[in-house]
Amino acid sequence: MPVTRLLYPLFQLGNPQLRIFRPNWFLTLVRPGKEQPPDTVQFRIPMEMTKCDVKNYLEKIYNVPVGAVRTRIQFGSNKKRNHLNQKVKQPDYKVAYVQLAQGQTFTFPDIFPEKERMPTEGSMEEMQEKFMEDEKQRQKLDPRRGGVTEWFGL
Amino acid sequence: MAARTRLPLLFSKNLPPFKNQKLAHTEAAVKEPTYPPIVPSLTAKSKSARGRQVEDHVKKICASPVDEKLSLITRIQRKKFVVYPQTFARNADRWYQHFTKTAYIPGLPERFALDPEKRTGVEKEESSLPAGAQTTVPGVEIDAFADIRSLVTRMILQEHWHMKKRKPFLYREQEQMVGPFLRNLVTGLTYSLAKYNPLLPLSSLDIDPQVNFYWRRGQRIIPKGHRRGRQEPTRFQIDDQPHSQIRITQQLPQFTSLEASYAAEVPEVAFAPNLMPLFRRQYDNNIFTGAKLPDPACYGHTQFHLVPDRYHRDRMARQQQSDQVEVFLRANGLASLFAWTGAQAMYQGFWNHEDVTRPFVSQAVITDGQFFSFFCYQLNTVALSVETDANNPRKNLLWGTESLRLYESVQDGAVVGLNDDVVKLLVQFLVNQP
Repeated sequence: MPVTRLLYPLFQLGNPQLRIFRPNWFLTLVRPGKEQPPDTVQFRIPMEMTKCDVKNYLEKIYNVPVGAVRTRIQFGSNKKRNHLNQKVKQPDYKVAYVQLAQGQTFTFPDIFPEKERMPTEGSMEEMQEKFMEDEKQRQKLDPRRGGVTEWFGL
Repeated sequence: MAARTRLPLLFSKNLPPFKNQKLAHTEAAVKEPTYPPIVPSLTAKSKSARGRQVEDHVKKICASPVDEKLSLITRIQRKKFVVYPQTFARNADRWYQHFTKTAYIPGLPERFALDPEKRTGVEKEESSLPAGAQTTVPGVEIDAFADIRSLVTRMILQEHWHMKKRKPFLYREQEQMVGPFLRNLVTGLTYSLAKYNPLLPLSSLDIDPQVNFYWRRGQRIIPKGHRRGRQEPTRFQIDDQPHSQIRITQQLPQFTSLEASYAAEVPEVAFAPNLMPLFRRQYDNNIFTGAKLPDPACYGHTQFHLVPDRYHRDRMARQQQSDQVEVFLRANGLASLFAWTGAQAMYQGFWNHEDVTRPFVSQAVITDGQFFSFFCYQLNTVALSVETDANNPRKNLLWGTESLRLYESVQDGAVVGLNDDVVKLLVQFLVNQP
């Protein structure tokens, strides 16, 4: 809705029900920085959205049962300076903490899981890894002497 | 001169030969050298010195009379979480159970069990009253019970039918419609049941009292500041204003023994309280039961709470949060009763490091005019801070009911569908005596 220069539709008693079709708002699900209870989901939302907007958005478009919404505005820092010594502003953004209803829980998934990298046969990486392993083996001290250096002795 | 007085070395074995035999029967009194006890310093800048300061403070509090104890415990002001018994937070009862180490037991203790065997086969004299009035409360005759029923119906009709009230302003409906009804109900019932409960004539009925309690539970690491990295206990404060309460001079008997609470389960919440959401403030730490310390009616009997408009079940239904209604009632009962029983225990001199020797028991009724919920609380332990809770198997217990409807509606000057069980429970609650 809020493109440029558009006054937010304020409600007065007697106005018709506000209906927004195809909203121009996009929510971003983020991983919480601090540990949150299992029923709380954290979103970054556009500045113009309110708690009621978030609730309706999630319920109507995504069928997510929403219990309570709390929002806050995060100030983006204006402290950093660029090579011309001008202050560089990081943008402000609004964060919404949504508590799910009906006992549902949500944990933010692991998007970048660690996977075992096995290099393909006959490739450069495999040869390089083998070479590095051999080098490390050569650097290791004699296990028969319990890892003690060569020069230590009578 | 000194050389003359000294005996020569060679002589001393034989000379004098029998001198020591006179003293042979007595033992030489050997005096052990007494040193002062080795304790850590008091003023050094070290952890053991701080530990000794804390120990001395604890000993000082234990040794002082009750009013000084209270003032020493609540002396220092720091940031604390303010716990509101009537809260909008979701799943507040689990959080509050964790803060107060309370286990919730659905249903009421055996004393208040609604037994169908209690229905006597004796025919009632007044057959004009609707059926279901055959139930009796032990100790209260059927006539008196019928009187109480008519009293309750009169109260309901007075507020909802006979009195002409203006349309209530926004969010003032409960205060205007139900507040006076509850007040009349409490005063009327207390007066009628005074002859069945010898404590009630000596009791004190407070209207709109203040109940405050301050305690510490758990700790956190300070994330930032000059005290960063150190442990800080989390402090809580409850400031409650029940609608009315009855305080008595003797203590109510316990519902179960202290040892029975060892097996109860308390939900553990691993998250910080501010995620609930719960907010911190710093102001006076108060511990107050509703009357000051020298008052003879220092033990609690029953509290009555009113559900405000904001948490009325119709409004919750409009917001699709009907499941939170029961949660709200449980959280309200838990927090209010914990604060009251805790304050009663503090008034008797029990505190964090001196745990209660006998359980403190209180009851509460929470209502929004039509629906009544009954709660019983037994305080078994006040030692909730980290040092004292490490080996404390005791837990506090809360019994509670779901909300029960008192009457269906008021039509044409008559109350339709008066629920006798609820009236019976009310009577049983008020007649409860040691």
